[in-house]
Amino acid sequence: MKKLLLLLLPVLALTLSVVSPALAARTITVATDATWPPMEMVDANKNIVGYDIDFLNAAAKEAGFKVVFKNTAWDGIFAGLDSGQYDAVISSVTITPERQKKYDFSLPYIDAGQILVVPKSERATRLADMKGKKIGAQIGTTGAFEIKKVNGVELKTYDEIGLAFEDMAAGRIQGVVCDEPTAIIYALQKKEYKAKFKIAGKPFTKEAYGICVKKGNKELVSLLNRGITAVKKKKIDQQLKKKWLK
Amino acid sequence: MHENEAKKQIEVGDGAAIPTKKDLGLFTAWRIAFFGAIAVLGWLTYAKPDPYLTILKFVPDGIVVTFKVTVGAILLALVIGLIAGLGRVANNRLANGLASLYVEVIRGIPLLVQIFYIYYALGRFVKVPDMLSAIIAMAVCYGAYMGEVFRAGIQSIPKGQMEAALTLGMTRSQAMRHVVVPQAFKVVLPPVGNEFIALLKDSSLVSILAVADLLRRGREFASESFTYFETYTVIALIYLIITLFFSKLIGIMEERINAGR
Repeated sequence: MKKLLLLLLPVLALTLSVVSPALAARTITVATDATWPPMEMVDANKNIVGYDIDFLNAAAKEAGFKVVFKNTAWDGIFAGLDSGQYDAVISSVTITPERQKKYDFSLPYIDAGQILVVPKSERATRLADMKGKKIGAQIGTTGAFEIKKVNGVELKTYDEIGLAFEDMAAGRIQGVVCDEPTAIIYALQKKEYKAKFKIAGKPFTKEAYGICVKKGNKELVSLLNRGITAVKKKKIDQQLKKKWLK
Repeated sequence: MHENEAKKQIEVGDGAAIPTKKDLGLFTAWRIAFFGAIAVLGWLTYAKPDPYLTILKFVPDGIVVTFKVTVGAILLALVIGLIAGLGRVANNRLANGLASLYVEVIRGIPLLVQIFYIYYALGRFVKVPDMLSAIIAMAVCYGAYMGEVFRAGIQSIPKGQMEAALTLGMTRSQAMRHVVVPQAFKVVLPPVGNEFIALLKDSSLVSILAVADLLRRGREFASESFTYFETYTVIALIYLIITLFFSKLIGIMEERINAGR
């Protein structure tokens, strides 16, 4: 009996491997830099949580696939896409023409804008009024690109946005630019910082976030788009906005 | 059983192999690597100016920062190291204990952790500009290694030198200052040179502090252009050319010192 079972095992395995893709839902590995609250972060139980995470899980449920998240440092997150370490990136990635040249994007799933955070004593409300000062941003983000555009302002790039805020608390830089939801967390909610920082002015860019995949992966883009459209139609994204962004 | 057997010692530095004519294999390897790196970098820039020339134009201010951090840190580390080294050979138990504690603690913590710690710890209490914080962080770490170099250097000076100085009526500290330490300086020069190269390479770690050194400039370029492979090829070649240049320089210095003996 045992021998018969042993003989049958490879056959069984073979059958399963052929049938399983049709039975079990397809799994997509997605990279995220979980240092960008409230969009993606690591909670006290070491789980990756946030708006992006909930959104993609909801989209996956609608379109019938599974997601495995991989916490990846932002600097090089696109390089991992090139080398096939994961299938997609959801990490508050703004859809920009430069990025579209190298990668493909899903439909936009949320809008955001860059905003300036400064120490409470600072009077300036725009980057252009901060000439001669050092402003921080995370490396390779649209925030960093915006600072670079302004003449006379020195850009300092950080691996994580939290390090930029800590450096501003230490007085080494005079401003930080990041996405509005993240700015709200750091400037208005963190208890170490809310007495020290304030948000200067209004968001000064209009950006749309998309899920980023390797160039030419049309099939994955259409799968993701199917999920995104369904989530928006059912207004699940509105619930998620209430949960994470207010 | 083997108490009388002389202990075999091997010397391996963490900096770079110093090419001398005594080690012909290394000498040849140095030539191939150094001129090879320059040739590859030159050819890439010529054959594919986009992106290689663009990268090369983007990073020079990073090289300047790398040098500033390295030179600043090595000078400060020499001072800290001399104090720590003197402390380690001191008869005063407090001085000896403090110096040993410093060396033990620092050597037990990874450099990357130390850099993070000192940079952000400094920021909590005093307002220190970023570049200076990075220099201090590197120097505090390398001061411990340098302290061990100085200790070994001082201990390598025959006891008779100190005894002779004491017989001449010098105090212990006078003997240290005028007789032992000046001789030790000659002995420690090659290992100090080696530490310099090690520090030059480790200075790339300060790029995590948003200090715009060579590596950070490269990362900034790559993160905007997505040319990761090309950018890090250039960055690696530049580091290689710089360290090989200095290892040669130190090799020449070493030969001069040995010739003078």
